Amino acid sequence: MSRKVRTRRRVKVELTRRDFLTMAGAAAGSVVASQALTTGPLSPFASLRQRQVEGDGDTAAPRGGPHWGMVINLDRCIGCEYCLRACTATNDVEAARPWNIVVRDETSAGRSFFFSRPCLHCQHAPCVEVCPVGATFVRGDGLVVMDYDRCIGCRYCEVACPYDVRKFNWEARHDENPYVPTWGTPEVARRPRGVVEKCTFCIHRIDAGLANGLTPGDDPEATPACVNVCPVAARVFGDLNDPDSKISQTIAANPTLRLREELGTEPSVYYIPPKEGL
Amino acid sequence: MPALSEAVPLRGTAKSKGPLSLTPGQLGWFAFIGLCLLIGLVAAYQVLSRGLVVTNLSDGVPWGLWITIDLSAIALGAGAFTLSAVVYLFGLKAFQPIVRLAVYVGFIGYTTALLTLVMDIGRPDRFWHPWVYWNVHSVLWEITWCITIYLTILMIEFAPVLAELPLFARWPVLRRVAHGLHRAAPYLALVGLLISLLHQSSLGATYGVLRSRPIWFKPSMPIMFIVSAIAVGPALTMGAAIVIQWVTGRRAVPPELLRTIARFSGLGLLAYLYIKLWDLAAVSYYGRTPASDRALFVLNEQTPYGFGFWVGEILLGLVVPAFLFLSPRFRRQPLALFVGSALATAGIVIHRWNVTVSGLVVPQAYSPGSLISTTAQAYSPSLAEWGIALGVIGYALLMFTLGVRFLPLFDTKAAAKESG
Repeated sequence: MSRKVRTRRRVKVELTRRDFLTMAGAAAGSVVASQALTTGPLSPFASLRQRQVEGDGDTAAPRGGPHWGMVINLDRCIGCEYCLRACTATNDVEAARPWNIVVRDETSAGRSFFFSRPCLHCQHAPCVEVCPVGATFVRGDGLVVMDYDRCIGCRYCEVACPYDVRKFNWEARHDENPYVPTWGTPEVARRPRGVVEKCTFCIHRIDAGLANGLTPGDDPEATPACVNVCPVAARVFGDLNDPDSKISQTIAANPTLRLREELGTEPSVYYIPPKEGL
Repeated sequence: MPALSEAVPLRGTAKSKGPLSLTPGQLGWFAFIGLCLLIGLVAAYQVLSRGLVVTNLSDGVPWGLWITIDLSAIALGAGAFTLSAVVYLFGLKAFQPIVRLAVYVGFIGYTTALLTLVMDIGRPDRFWHPWVYWNVHSVLWEITWCITIYLTILMIEFAPVLAELPLFARWPVLRRVAHGLHRAAPYLALVGLLISLLHQSSLGATYGVLRSRPIWFKPSMPIMFIVSAIAVGPALTMGAAIVIQWVTGRRAVPPELLRTIARFSGLGLLAYLYIKLWDLAAVSYYGRTPASDRALFVLNEQTPYGFGFWVGEILLGLVVPAFLFLSPRFRRQPLALFVGSALATAGIVIHRWNVTVSGLVVPQAYSPGSLISTTAQAYSPSLAEWGIALGVIGYALLMFTLGVRFLPLFDTKAAAKESG
């Protein structure tokens, strides 16, 4: 019996050695495989990262090109809501739930000012991180864009957005747009039922304008509708990466803040606070 | 599932002659299930034809009752992976008699969640997108994958049980394949354990990673979700076993085993209680921020959140069931174990509801001025939402009833033969 036990023990040792070799081989193999899968050119992860950084095919500029941003001067804003109306007309947004909101707010001293908010086009956008299908992503030129054909309507991005920017299409739209044609005509199609939408910085104007040699922020045809319509020039649009652009010079010459900066979302929209402070 | 208590009218199934002869009690039970399903179908038609406008959800509160059902159903299905791991990985064969039931309850839970999820997304026709379009940074993407994989594992684990049905007797090949699958049980249990630990906690992380919402954004979220699921999942399976014994009059699961599960679940509940109270202390004192202070203030002033937390989650959902499960006097009474299981289940549902809704009804403050809105947003589910809820509960009850009636959920003889 003791002999039997010994044999079994010996077999066990052999098996363990083989196991060890197998495991070592498997470990080495999985390291190679995981490297190939996560960083190699064949990896789905790599293509995803590339798409998130460089944007969607031919419409996007690579990093290092322009970074589109906006400055909103709270000291100038008179709360006329022209930006809201032009945006709603141009992008054919449901009037009851505008992309671009305008609300009254107060400084700590009790003085009124008007606060308006488009999509802030965060460079570390929480909505982009949480989307389970990659239907929203940061383009190389800083725009946070939506792929309406990919969105499944789970609304996680709506839950994640720190600025309540996103709107869901709860039903197929048949509403009449009260701001058309007085404040503009729709330049994009209405979004279908069941997908999320938000301010695009009038991406269709930027892309078409660049293709025609225009400069977004300088040429009105290539500039967001809200910026063009503002009667007091409270909004400035342009390339944050170009030190000579109007927006860069405005930021350099004024105190600015960004919303909920402690979250680290890196918004592309800067606010100039009221002169006497907030 | 809360409505399991209503399975009591089925008492006497064992006495019925054939599969199609029904006692008045059974007839009433099936009529109830049929009514639930009918209401669910009407609601589903509303949702699919008109869109999510039929819900009371809004851009401010985009998630509500249905997400609560998803989270609860998946958490309550956790008995499957817990008990499978106990039997096949830790080798505690004493738990063998209840594994099939646990896997079946898990299967019902996961399919219930998927049904609800398909209703909840705006584009049900694109349900397959997470499998094709990947965002590996998204918790929700990972959860979708895990749930898909785990549901597959559950079906493979359950295939041997189905193959035992007389229906499949004429194809011996099927039985051989099923037997082969059964031998893979330990590996399935291992993968199931890993996948479950991952996605059960990720469901908490779904909320925990959102830095924009001060009362969700904390590292304890995933831990509370996984611990509560491990504690209550087996308790639900135990409650289901007790109901089945009442209804069929058959002692399929040894009473000592039920008591052991009760003790396990009771200890799990205590661990959950400990983490919960520590989390409360951390949020209230050590980890407080102006934003989380404001959010908790709004919740406590304007919503029944505090009552739901202390009475629903802590007292009824934790303390009472833990006491029933751990006190030697009560643990010997099936009724006490059943009540404990039902309360713990309700506690889970209340917790998932509280987490979901509390984080959303507090308005976000992003305007730089001092006029911060401190009015909680309104949300109470619409008729259509309740209709879908009734429908999926009807589905779960129907599956459970059919399983009890037609599936060898407790065929310990066959199990012993296969493992021997």
